[in-house]
Amino acid sequence: MTIITTKKPFEEILSAIKHTKNITIVSCASCAAMCQTGGTEGAKEMAEKLEAEGFNITTVIVPEEVCDNRVMKKDFRQIEEELEQTDAILTLSCGLGVASITDVLAKKFPQIPVFIGTNTEFMGMTERIGRFYMRCRGCGDCLLNETGGICPITTCAKSLMNGPCGGMVDGKCEVGNYERDCGWVLIYKRLKELGRLDLYSKLRDPVDWSESGHQREVVWR
Amino acid sequence: MAVKKVYSKLGEKIANGEFILTGELEPEKTTDLSHTIEEAREMAPYVVAANVTDSPLGIVTINSMAATHLIQKESNLECIWQLTVRDVNKLGIAGMMMGAHALGIRNVLSLTGDHTALGDMPESKPVFDLDSATLIKLVREMVDKGSINGHEIEAPPTLHVGGAANPNANPVESEILKIGRKAEAGAEFIQTQVVYDLDKTIEFLTEIKKYKVPVLLGIFPMKSYAIAKGFDEFVPGVSVPKDILSRWKSIKKDYTDKKMQKEAYDQANYEFFKPFITELRKKNLLDGIHCMAVHYPRIFPKLMEVIDNAN
Repeated sequence: MTIITTKKPFEEILSAIKHTKNITIVSCASCAAMCQTGGTEGAKEMAEKLEAEGFNITTVIVPEEVCDNRVMKKDFRQIEEELEQTDAILTLSCGLGVASITDVLAKKFPQIPVFIGTNTEFMGMTERIGRFYMRCRGCGDCLLNETGGICPITTCAKSLMNGPCGGMVDGKCEVGNYERDCGWVLIYKRLKELGRLDLYSKLRDPVDWSESGHQREVVWR
Repeated sequence: MAVKKVYSKLGEKIANGEFILTGELEPEKTTDLSHTIEEAREMAPYVVAANVTDSPLGIVTINSMAATHLIQKESNLECIWQLTVRDVNKLGIAGMMMGAHALGIRNVLSLTGDHTALGDMPESKPVFDLDSATLIKLVREMVDKGSINGHEIEAPPTLHVGGAANPNANPVESEILKIGRKAEAGAEFIQTQVVYDLDKTIEFLTEIKKYKVPVLLGIFPMKSYAIAKGFDEFVPGVSVPKDILSRWKSIKKDYTDKKMQKEAYDQANYEFFKPFITELRKKNLLDGIHCMAVHYPRIFPKLMEVIDNAN
């Protein structure tokens, strides 16, 4: 699994950091490297572009996983002197990286703002590099055992629990000009293949948003 | 599900097993409903009720509950309030059911609704908290049990609730089984998408008979060649047969006199739909007709003729 990121338009990044001068780049060696938004290459490219715009790059680090607080604590310990000279951190990772860095920096460097140079797209299934697909939204109440392993929350444009809707034409979805498959037709075909149309015929209750509609935590120790 | 209690003229006709004709009204992006009300008055002598659409194609119009109420009040024509689950969450919809009852609305058609991305406010958040089946279930709980989520409603709403079906769906089995879910949820009637293909329609109606929900078949008599062509091109999943399009095209070409042209279109509709409906009634597959030809109320007398002669 990879958290899929794409590059933010450079102008948008410039606009966010325009009141700063000395930048530290934190570029993730995991998912973002795979998505070619971070990693060593991404960091190098960003540093060159920022320098061309007159910014000073204080330092560049490429942590193993920016989203892991433990990794960031360790890596930041190595660059405390550079952080003293830093106006802002530009993160090339998913959104979790910004949260992780902000948490870790909170005690010693609360004055440093943390910016992001990517857009976090989704948790992705990888077909090959450059082909990533959303197949799970992490809703917290997995239905896959009843839908032939195909998620209606993700594959149905309306996240319907009882599809397909009238927007399905020849197995395609009205959203996106009938180019994408209708999630509920995929579910129907898969369950038919498995001899489980009984599951397809079932009237399903709406999603229970009392738990999944807000920020979640998994804390078991 | 058969109608147990009667709350409206539509409910009464369904309960009595009478053949039903419903029409359709499409309020627009305006606060002025005078044209729609005029149309309602024109079709009122012929139809049991008329559907009032809810921002079709995701293009925002006047709110359908408000429009339904005002049309009923001004025209005395009973309406079927169309409600999509696109724009309001479950809590909001439950509140609307009580509001609708208080405003004199007694029929509701549960629809998914075209995605916001297709309409003129694509940046809107698509809600879809419920779907077209679970909305039916929600209404049934409120009406039959007088409760919502197990909580008692002091004076519960009384509404008949129906669902939609698409005989043109491909794969059709995925649609048929979905109608089963709507029947299980408590749908009291089904109104279908527009059909033109008789064989496909017979097959579909025969298949869904097992669910024992009265079916009003969607038809779309075409007022002009332009309308027929537009319908063929822009309504997803419905295609107007080539021979119809060419006949309508030749009417446009052959009749320069507007009055005669109108009569020719009306007659062409009559000639197409008469054998179509007669055949379906003969096979005992129809409980009624839902005529979706908006802005074409003058067709209703002819349609009544079709229905009467199809007996």
